[in-house]
Amino acid sequence: MALEAVGLEQNYGTQRVLRGLTFSVRAGEIYALLGGNGAGKSTTLNLFLGLARPTAGSARVCDVEVGSDPAAARARIAYVPENVALYEHLTARENIDYLLTLARADTAGALIEEALDAVGLVREAWDRRLGGYSKGMRQKVAIALAIARRVPVLLLDEPTAGLDPRATADFHRLLETARIRGVATLMVTHDLLGAAEVADRIGFLAEGRIEAELIAEGTERFDVRALHQRYLQAGAAA
Amino acid sequence: MNRFRYELRLLLRSRVAAAALTLLLVLSAVAVGAGLSASARQTALIDRVATAQARDFAAATTQYGKPDGEAGYAAYYTFHLTSDRPSSLAFAAMGQRDIQPYVLRVRLLGLQAQLYETETVNPELALPGPFDFAFVLIYLAPLAVIVLMHDLVSGEREAGRLRLLSALPVTPGQLWLRRAGVRLMLVLLALLGPFLVGALVAKAPIWGVAILSLVAILYVAFWAGLGLMVGAWGRRSAFNAATLVGCWIVLVLLVPALANAALSRAIPVGRGVDLTLAQREAVHHAWDVPREAVMAPFVAKHPEWKDKARVGGGFHWKWYYAMHEMGDDGVAGQVAAYRASLAARQAWTERLGWLSPAAAAQSLVHRVADSDLQAHLAYQDNVTAFHRHLQDFYYPYLFSERPFTRKDFARAPVYAPRGSSSSTPVVPLLALLVLSLSAWAGGVVGARRTVS
Amino acid sequence: MSGRPSLVGRVAREEWRALARNRVAVVAGLILAVLLAGSALLCVEQRNAIEASRERHQASSDRQFDLQPDRHPHRMVHYGQFVFRPLSTLAFFDRGVDSFTGHTVFLEGHRQNSANFSEARQSSLLLRFGELTPAFVLQTLAPLLVIFLAYGAVASERERGTLRLLAAQGLGASDMLAGKLLAHGGAAGLILAPAALALLIAALLGWAPPGPAVLLLVIYGLYLAIWAVMAVLVSSLARRSRDALILLVSIWMVLVVLIPRTLPEAAARLRTQTLTRIETDIAIHADLNKIGDSHDPDDPYFSAFKAKILAQYGVRRVEDLPVQWAGLVGMEGERLTSQLFDRYAREAFAREQAQNRFVRGFGAVSPVIALRQASMSLAGTDIESHQDFLDQVERYRYAFVQSLNRMQVEQIPNQGAGEDPRIAAANWKRVPSFAYVAPDVLRLAGGRIAANLAVLIVWLVALLALCAPVARRLREDAR
Repeated sequence: MALEAVGLEQNYGTQRVLRGLTFSVRAGEIYALLGGNGAGKSTTLNLFLGLARPTAGSARVCDVEVGSDPAAARARIAYVPENVALYEHLTARENIDYLLTLARADTAGALIEEALDAVGLVREAWDRRLGGYSKGMRQKVAIALAIARRVPVLLLDEPTAGLDPRATADFHRLLETARIRGVATLMVTHDLLGAAEVADRIGFLAEGRIEAELIAEGTERFDVRALHQRYLQAGAAA
Repeated sequence: MNRFRYELRLLLRSRVAAAALTLLLVLSAVAVGAGLSASARQTALIDRVATAQARDFAAATTQYGKPDGEAGYAAYYTFHLTSDRPSSLAFAAMGQRDIQPYVLRVRLLGLQAQLYETETVNPELALPGPFDFAFVLIYLAPLAVIVLMHDLVSGEREAGRLRLLSALPVTPGQLWLRRAGVRLMLVLLALLGPFLVGALVAKAPIWGVAILSLVAILYVAFWAGLGLMVGAWGRRSAFNAATLVGCWIVLVLLVPALANAALSRAIPVGRGVDLTLAQREAVHHAWDVPREAVMAPFVAKHPEWKDKARVGGGFHWKWYYAMHEMGDDGVAGQVAAYRASLAARQAWTERLGWLSPAAAAQSLVHRVADSDLQAHLAYQDNVTAFHRHLQDFYYPYLFSERPFTRKDFARAPVYAPRGSSSSTPVVPLLALLVLSLSAWAGGVVGARRTVS
Repeated sequence: MSGRPSLVGRVAREEWRALARNRVAVVAGLILAVLLAGSALLCVEQRNAIEASRERHQASSDRQFDLQPDRHPHRMVHYGQFVFRPLSTLAFFDRGVDSFTGHTVFLEGHRQNSANFSEARQSSLLLRFGELTPAFVLQTLAPLLVIFLAYGAVASERERGTLRLLAAQGLGASDMLAGKLLAHGGAAGLILAPAALALLIAALLGWAPPGPAVLLLVIYGLYLAIWAVMAVLVSSLARRSRDALILLVSIWMVLVVLIPRTLPEAAARLRTQTLTRIETDIAIHADLNKIGDSHDPDDPYFSAFKAKILAQYGVRRVEDLPVQWAGLVGMEGERLTSQLFDRYAREAFAREQAQNRFVRGFGAVSPVIALRQASMSLAGTDIESHQDFLDQVERYRYAFVQSLNRMQVEQIPNQGAGEDPRIAAANWKRVPSFAYVAPDVLRLAGGRIAANLAVLIVWLVALLALCAPVARRLREDAR
């Protein structure tokens, strides 16, 4: 299993954020974790990234226990934060090169160009400093970085927030490519429509656990109206 | 290597960082230049005074170097120049050389009445202290470090990159340590580059240059460690900057000023005045006592003149100079006490290094550059030794009553410059080392915590 | 800037509330207050101790002089007198150059000795970090506190976005700016309070001269006001509060630490070098030889002097004089050397002042320089006061030596005085002792004080004048 959460609990003082969260993501699968504000989405990401330690339960990345070896877990994960912020005074190419260097990954020029090509960033922009980039362009650079790292797991934090419809569509096409390569993708979002469009499975996060899980079926994939209903119920419960 | 190159590029592309480093480089270069020129000015002034003195000496030679010249008159009217040239490292740390006299004329009379003479000093110019490399090191380099280090972590957080960086498979703390290391290296480069050039120009000794560089490295490292510690623990950049500037105020301005106030109260040095008053009494009292009372102790000290030291009731040069020498001897105890109080102040200053790295660095660089109070005391010691040479030179003429002629003026002893009294005091060096290592230890712990 | 007073007051009150709720600011303010009050108390105590020790030395030295036995007056000329410079009362507030100037002068005939035993020469280098006086705290540390309190005044409103919100509520940019200025001007006044209290108490107790004490308060008030306005202005122009902080600390660094240090070096380099004491001694010696040699019977100057004296007493030979001839020659010699001393001292002081004028000229660039000058002048610890002391000492030295010489002229027989002529010890009590008259600093340095005061006022007015364009800029930003 590429990503696995087993009975994760997380308390902050008296506040119980996660209460036995259990789910898993296979290689080549896109899993959307849906939930309202404060449902525990960011905490879940932190636990997979090893940025926090669970009170109980375990988070595993490609069978590596995150708690016991966070660096090894991070070496298998590419993470795209909600608001992509990179080094403004470096170019796209330099940003990726530098961050790959930090991650001790392969920094071959061809690899970087391939990744930039894959995300569809216009070629003229590759050697421009990020200072003048739009939000969508920045996100493309961050995803290019994730692709260039050639890791089996992709974590996305609210990936389509603030993107215009065209950029969102571009982004969804990218996720398809990743799925074909066998990457396991976990996206944390409250964008119901977006999730319905690309996800293979959708988990509803409420009160710190998966309240319900839906699996895409046929060409229709999800019943959007039913999804919406679920979402509101989960929100009400939280 | 690639990673370091990137860190360097990232840092230098930040306008504030580049400005701070450039400014430090320029100020360090200007300070080294100013130090070299101040050093050259002092040397030139010594030469100028030597020229004037040579003319005065020649005039005395003509006036008193008659075939039947009396050594008593010659010794009374002839001054002998002593001077204290700046050490080859003084350009970096002028220390007290702007207020202590480095030229002094002495004659055969009582030394204690001559030794504390002041030279012309413009006190208003001396008040703020010299602008030299030591100033740039002690006051300004920490501020450059603060500018570079205060947002080490918080800057990434405020720019929104911290989560992305934390999600990379990087060993905890490594990134921040590497970045702090790059910053430390650049500050040292900007600071020490001009100093090393200056040392080459001044032909300073390797050992001294090495110690001074070591002090600079430890001192700047202390601030970098502190910067890392605060930068890693603090939340906001503005808060970090304010905290670090606060540390700077306390360690560089406040602790030394408080300690100085405490020190000058705890160890008063009014004894300097007391000893000159006592010396005057000793010398002038001798006029009103029988000649024997002066000559007996003198002969006891100088048995070689036993047979030639008998003088009658009237004025006699033998008695006159014996009286002056005995006047000096009479206050020897007070001189020792005075020197001890000065030494005590120095010792406590060195101990203060444990509380303030600035005070430790200041003690060290000036001791190495041989331009502090101890250096001046070494000069006074050398003048005292020279004064003994003068006695050894004049006494045979005086007591054997040999004529003092033109030729004899040429034989008068010439002041030989003192050797360097430069040393490396252990206490402040140890203090600086310990403080610097503790700051880094705190910084490393803080940096490790940041990522997790 | 014309603002509506009620709104301006409201903004100021809000700012004060924010400051009062900022724990770090309150702690920093309290620390500074403690430092200020503590340094004032400490320095009063220290000044009194120094003054007492100098008084004790003066008294014991005077007593010693009076206790000397029967002697030839010329012996007493070389026994000499020690004088100690009394410390002005306001020295507790600003030590000025006192630690760098010697305070003990040994006075004797035909020599002018230096003032010795300055504190700086007898201290470790620690002293060069600065002396912890109220002046040091106010000049160096107080501006940093002002900066720390005010750097976020407008910048943090901009950062938080409340600047637009305030504008949307209809608060004019100039009203807001005026309010912030009022708040931080008031805070600066509060910072000054402990020092003001110390000065006023000293003045009311009649311990310190009231005029200079009040003027000290005025110049420090102006100085801190300058920093408050500067901080608020920079805060208004900066994009982020951190930028404002860094810029303000840099300005402080340059004005307070860097410029005062670099200028003396430039002055020493640009201006003519002062003569060393040794060169002066040699030059005076040579000049004296040029005037004449009293031992040479054919010397034209002293032949003329002799003729004049003989004519005055109506005798033909010096042996017939009713007074002692050697003593008269001594007095004439003393007169000549004193003239030379005066001339050389004036020239040396003029050269020193030329260097200092160069530095003082930069008061326009850094208000710190103007403030330091005015502060030292008012405290009576500046170089002029020291020079005034040296002038009084030299006048006294001349009177002292000549009174002894007169005793020689009048009491030692001109002929057949014997091998060891002496006069009675009772005479020594008739020799005047040194009575230092503390100068009225307003008269002594009035011009300089006024000039420096003017510099501070011009700085403040210029900064206030900048407020109008800055308010305009704020209005544009809020849009």
